[in-house]
Amino acid sequence: MSISVDAIRDCLEGALPATIATCARDGTPNVSYVSQVNYVDSAHVALTFQFFNKTRENVLVNPRAAVLVIHPQTAARYRLQLEYLRTETEGPLFESMKAKLAGIASHTGMTGVFRLRGADVYRVLDIAQIPGQQLPSPTPRRNLLASLRACTQVFTRGVDLETLLEDLLAALAEHLGVSHAMVLMLDGPGRRLFTVASRGYPQSGVGSEIALGCGVIGVAAEQRTPIRVSHMTAEYSYGRAIRESTERSALGARLETAIPLPGLADSRSQLAAPIVAGGTLLGVLYVESPQDLRFSYDDEDALVAVAAQLGSAIRALQEVDSAPEPAAVPAPQPAPAGGTPVVVRHYALDDSVFIGDDYLIKGVAGAILRKLLADYLRDGRTEFTNRELRLDRRIRLPDLADNLEARLVLLQRRLAERSRALRLEKSGRGRIRLCVERPVQLVETPR
Amino acid sequence: MMARMNVAPAASPVLDAEHAAFILLPGISMTAASPGSGNLPRIGRALGCRVSAQRGRITVLFAGGQCPELIEALRASRAIAVVFSQPSTHRTIQVKGADAALEPLAPGDPALAQRWIDGFVAELAALGYAEPLVRAFLWCDPAELVAVGFTPCAAFQQTPGPRAGLPLGS
Repeated sequence: MSISVDAIRDCLEGALPATIATCARDGTPNVSYVSQVNYVDSAHVALTFQFFNKTRENVLVNPRAAVLVIHPQTAARYRLQLEYLRTETEGPLFESMKAKLAGIASHTGMTGVFRLRGADVYRVLDIAQIPGQQLPSPTPRRNLLASLRACTQVFTRGVDLETLLEDLLAALAEHLGVSHAMVLMLDGPGRRLFTVASRGYPQSGVGSEIALGCGVIGVAAEQRTPIRVSHMTAEYSYGRAIRESTERSALGARLETAIPLPGLADSRSQLAAPIVAGGTLLGVLYVESPQDLRFSYDDEDALVAVAAQLGSAIRALQEVDSAPEPAAVPAPQPAPAGGTPVVVRHYALDDSVFIGDDYLIKGVAGAILRKLLADYLRDGRTEFTNRELRLDRRIRLPDLADNLEARLVLLQRRLAERSRALRLEKSGRGRIRLCVERPVQLVETPR
Repeated sequence: MMARMNVAPAASPVLDAEHAAFILLPGISMTAASPGSGNLPRIGRALGCRVSAQRGRITVLFAGGQCPELIEALRASRAIAVVFSQPSTHRTIQVKGADAALEPLAPGDPALAQRWIDGFVAELAALGYAEPLVRAFLWCDPAELVAVGFTPCAAFQQTPGPRAGLPLGS
């Protein structure tokens, strides 16, 4: 094959519509528009199957197709010869094309008309450039490989998870020009994601939640595949995602929206990459922009590479954590100053915790805080190891890939944002310290 | 030329006056297909068209050097499909023919192609596409213009939506 599909990926962003020619068995030709020619790998593309039309009828009996695409910057034109292989109606490729199509539909006024029935996968037999005029390639904003290399330096520093996430989001801004980003981690039972770090929003949104399968972030997590949408689309908007999230779980509805998800109201480009390590989904790295077509296939590759490294780094931090340093000399705890006690309420039903009347957190992070406070009130303990948190039956960590470090970061950040009386700090490798500035009263509501 | 004489203008042409007027509007995108050897589909962009007085025949212009396989397939198979689409409205129809043949260029054809390019540039400019980009991908050396005529034998709605695929007039 003369030209590889990756070399012309920019033509597959859908900025200019592609056309497809097929032939019936009797040789009757057919030509039509195709909403999306999606890059699969260097030898395959996938086309949207939306309507039971002649194109579809033809490729099922005569699996050959010819497609015309145009480069959105240089106007270079390419003719692709394709061979139809199969149709996928679920799974990562289908979901990523469905999300992309929703963006295209909304951008072209076709919301409600465009509906993905399947992702038709084709082998690319040949790519030929059509002779003609071409505009010079615009100078790229940056060299993405160099930017990627710069970003990955944060993984060599050997810092704790909170610092790592902060440094990583700063590096994405500095080297990739991504000003709005967040990291979400999977929660205990594995059906929810919670924000542990963000950058570029008026409120950090740490602790906010989103259900698997909802919006760009939720679908990326559920399918473990990057999801990239290049135009504003209501179908994958936060509002919609949060609403659906709430509908799916009426019980926790009030709490799920208690912390608003950060995020741009007018997001026009969204890209979510799953964070996976050791075959386990850990969370999602998400970036967005108020600009249409901001993220390209190359940006997607860069973010996926960063997310893969982040997954390994989180996993490595967890292992370090499981083998704590010998007990540090406990820091002398000043006796809590007097004053009105701070009332902390814990509800066993969902491990939600309120400080005074304000919602703090729920789930595993809520259970951790309850354990720390209960032990503190009973024994006056303020030093804890990650290992004991893992073994504590009251916390009910789901399994080995427990994301404990991420939950501690979440709890630490939420306390820092919401409480002056309680604070959590690291007191060494695999160790945390509870700092209490006022008398505490723990009110427990059993199931 | 024999083929053309065999096909008398149909009593009621496949294309009614309104559809004929539609494909002649400035800014209509046109792409054609034909079966090559081994029933391999061939594809190419057209650069304008003419419609005969009784709407019995459509003549489509191509930059022959940019789509030699398509021209060869048209010559050999005589089967053609052309999709006409208005980018600003998505209104789309497809017209098919079984008697496609190369025709001598009419004296006005180079000017027709140029007018068509200008119309398409204007249509896409209104949608936010930069003129140099559109001019570049429509670029054509007037010396390579080729005219292909055919009698419409079938025509279909292709505007995205529930009526897509239905014959025109149904």
